Amino acid sequence: MSWDDKLLKQAKKIIKLYPQKRSALGPLLHLAQSKDGYISDDSITVISELVGITEVQVKSVSTFYSMYKQEPTGKYLLSVCKSISCEINNSSEVINKVQEFTGLNNNETDEEELFTFEAVECIGACGGAPAVQVNYETVEGVTPENAINLCKWLKETKPDVVVADEMQENFGGIKSFDWAIQDNSGATSTAPGFQTLKTTKVKK
Amino acid sequence: MSEKVNLNVNGIEIESDPNKLLIEACEDSGIHIPRFCWHKRLDPVGMCRMCLVEVETPRGKMLVPSCTTEVSDEMVVDTESDVVKKAQEGVLEFLLINHPLDCPICDKAGECPLQDQTMAYGPGESRFVEEKRHFEKPINISEIILLDRERCILCARCTRFSDEISGDPLIEFIQRGNKTEVNTFPNEPFKSYFSGNTVQICPVGALTSTSYRFKARPWDLKSTRSTCNGCSMGCSIELNSSQNKMLRILGVDNDAVNQGWLCDKGRYNFEYLNSDSRLKTPLKKIDNELVEIEIQEVYSELSEVIKDRQTKVTFLLGSNLTNEDYVAFREFSEIISQSEKSFYLNDDKLHPGLFGENVELAKIDDLNSSDAIVVWAEDLKEKIPVLYLRIRQAVKNGVKLVVFGHTNETLSDIADVFYGKETVSENFEIVKDISKLKEIKDLVIGKNITAILGKSTPHQSDTSVTKLFEFLNSNSNSKVLNAYSKGNTYGALQTLENVKGLNNFVNDISEENTDLLFIVGADPIGRSVYSNQIKSIIEGLDTVVALDNFNHETSELANFLIPMSSTLGEKEGTFTNIEFRTSRIDKLVPSPGQTVSDWEFITSLMNFSGLTVETNSLESLNKKAYENLDYSLSPVFDNLDKPSNLDGMVNISKPKISSSDNNSNEAKFFIGEKLYGDSTTERHSDSISLLGSKKYIEVSEGVVEKYNLTSGKCTLIQDELEVTVSYEVNKSFPNDLIYIPTNRRELNKFDFSREIMIIPSVVKEALNVN
Ligand code: SF4
Ligand code: SF4
Ligand code: FES
Ligand code: FES
Repeated sequence: MSWDDKLLKQAKKIIKLYPQKRSALGPLLHLAQSKDGYISDDSITVISELVGITEVQVKSVSTFYSMYKQEPTGKYLLSVCKSISCEINNSSEVINKVQEFTGLNNNETDEEELFTFEAVECIGACGGAPAVQVNYETVEGVTPENAINLCKWLKETKPDVVVADEMQENFGGIKSFDWAIQDNSGATSTAPGFQTLKTTKVKK
Repeated sequence: MSEKVNLNVNGIEIESDPNKLLIEACEDSGIHIPRFCWHKRLDPVGMCRMCLVEVETPRGKMLVPSCTTEVSDEMVVDTESDVVKKAQEGVLEFLLINHPLDCPICDKAGECPLQDQTMAYGPGESRFVEEKRHFEKPINISEIILLDRERCILCARCTRFSDEISGDPLIEFIQRGNKTEVNTFPNEPFKSYFSGNTVQICPVGALTSTSYRFKARPWDLKSTRSTCNGCSMGCSIELNSSQNKMLRILGVDNDAVNQGWLCDKGRYNFEYLNSDSRLKTPLKKIDNELVEIEIQEVYSELSEVIKDRQTKVTFLLGSNLTNEDYVAFREFSEIISQSEKSFYLNDDKLHPGLFGENVELAKIDDLNSSDAIVVWAEDLKEKIPVLYLRIRQAVKNGVKLVVFGHTNETLSDIADVFYGKETVSENFEIVKDISKLKEIKDLVIGKNITAILGKSTPHQSDTSVTKLFEFLNSNSNSKVLNAYSKGNTYGALQTLENVKGLNNFVNDISEENTDLLFIVGADPIGRSVYSNQIKSIIEGLDTVVALDNFNHETSELANFLIPMSSTLGEKEGTFTNIEFRTSRIDKLVPSPGQTVSDWEFITSLMNFSGLTVETNSLESLNKKAYENLDYSLSPVFDNLDKPSNLDGMVNISKPKISSSDNNSNEAKFFIGEKLYGDSTTERHSDSISLLGSKKYIEVSEGVVEKYNLTSGKCTLIQDELEVTVSYEVNKSFPNDLIYIPTNRRELNKFDFSREIMIIPSVVKEALNVN
């Protein structure tokens, strides 16, 4: 088993929350992703043993959902929304600019393993369209220019943690639901298994 | 039974059981709805949409998939409307978007549902001009199964089969949407005893077998229906041949038996028929050399043997004979030898079974209708694979399962309770008070039970099983399925009286009581755990006649070696399965060279010797087998060939078996057989020989400690014999138990009643160096 004791303990805690072991599959995959940044075959083997189904059944689930990465991503995963609200608000230009800057096609990672680019479906920030996520930390109201600035900043300073609020302040525009979202841990929350990526600052 | 519902399909009134799927209700009334993903024996998924029909609803007519819609009273359905036709055309056009134009090189072409339904319901042309999706052309997903993902239409039949039916889901859909493909996990091949079924039910040529690939076109095939004699299940099969060569076996849906499924051994172990090593001419041993002779010479020499003496004849019969063969030997023995008849079956584990007056025998279908199934027998997945599927099916339908160890561990995954080492000792005795086992109280007492009982290992005492039976019999309403696993054992038991097993052969037979030994379709020296004893007995006898498909370790010792036709495809006759269901064995290909059927050989020998026999034809032997039964109920050819009896006829009668325990009851070893071994037929079937007969043993944790095993390999030593094997640790084994699969050459040569030395392999290598 390639998981350390700490991770296994976390996994067992998650499994206990469900009446059927295999129901814990989703959160366990998130846990695996929080370890490696993607779902490795090793992790699949570990999970299959933990929940008592075959490896290929785990693989089937993990490859069905596009947010479970099948390959390691770069240090920064850039997810630009391409769905309708963002599209209306010029996301295609944001996409073009980010692609130009990084030189990446969809789902590609650069050689330095710094950036991975993906155009994604709605990330639930339509009110602040167009929206971008860096390692699942959401920035809203991103103009094409600011998208470039965001990328440049990441490339030059290579911050070890990225925080939604900070990026929003420097590169964002109008934000949806200012009054509602108090949680600054981005798309992730504290539910067990829905771990933040390593580069994300733990919520205070 | 609840009331029937009435529905109107295409203007015709039909009746159906409630809760039926629309597609099935229509099918039963002769209205065919095209489909790809729906399969009668699998749960519906609605993957392909080929089965769309129009149903009237309060909101008007709607297209619904008939494979996921249950019938309801007064339902009005149209399966042929313009809207339906348009939908079917659309579905097919979509399916063909990515389907390659492989028909000219595809095994399925000619019997392909996609081809056929495109012809019948398709749009005629495609508007799709873009590139189709591409995958590496067939990939091996196991040694014997290939997958062409370009051809796959994602119907999920194969994946559902492996999950729902066989319970080894090693193939699944990977990715999503346009990228979806069926595949295995890397380095985890589709190693399933039942993988061939997926090839048969795949509605396109995506799954193919190495065995049949590129061998023939369906329209060139000759076919006939027959019965598999691979084990005592007797699955219904269809044999396919082309140019007089057997090429393929398909499962036939016999509701009472195999429901369409086969195990891979039954499906692929026909390949030996086409082997060049088959015996084709009679041989005689002269100065220790086997030389070809004419069959007439054999008859004349043997008739001398029969005539000269008050011949004492012994028969050692394999389990792959037809009932008619058995009857022929019985008739022969009745005429020839005055002394007691001595028939021995080629079975290490033959035991008296449970056939007493207080025993009610079960049918396979009873598994589904009982409250619980109790299993204590050989490993059913290894020995009667399709019966294992039927148990899985029953459990899926809510029947409880109680399994006693140390065999049948694979069933423990789905069992409600598995009684392992705490309950069953290493001598295969139940060491606890059965009535005090908590789960037994809940699941068994006062319930309807089907008990599958038999000997787990040759050294297990008969009484241990009888005790369990007696408990069940007095505390529940129980029926028994005696688990003799080999081929046509039940046919032999029914046609021959007082048969015994090899366990008795080694004690009974000597030159004093046997002048002439017939060994028919059996290689006990190569297979039996009594190998050495049998060898020295045979070597001491005057005249030994072996009838077989191949020359092997046993036949080698014979004075005469007669080439035998195979019961699979080369003979006609009948076969009787585990529930005493007799069905037809049919001939499809000519048998090679001068091979003869066993009954032909023995009948000709009698004729040649001037002995009058009334049973000188196959039909007469067949009638003779059932002369005590009411003709109309007996499984004679005339009755079996009636369309209503193609699935066989059950005629339960309790046989008398004289087999008795061997005294060596201090079982140190648990001896069993795996599905795949290296018997002569298996070695001459390419597919089966690929599936491996790795030499290995299973040991308890205690054994690992005791012998200091660390390297994963060890050497078994007894006298001159040394075999190096890998070992697997089985945590559910008690103290000193060691499992040895003896259907591997050499492993059966140990004398299991004595000590076998076990040395960890590293140490041994070190010794060799010094
Ligand atoms: S391989 Fe065949 S059976 Fe399996 S999903 Fe594809 S088409 Fe269906
Ligand atoms: S289960 Fe037995 S009878 Fe059925 S296919 Fe396999 S070997 Fe043949
Ligand atoms: S459409 Fe872009 S966030 Fe919803
Ligand atoms: S047969 Fe009904 S959807 Fe496939």
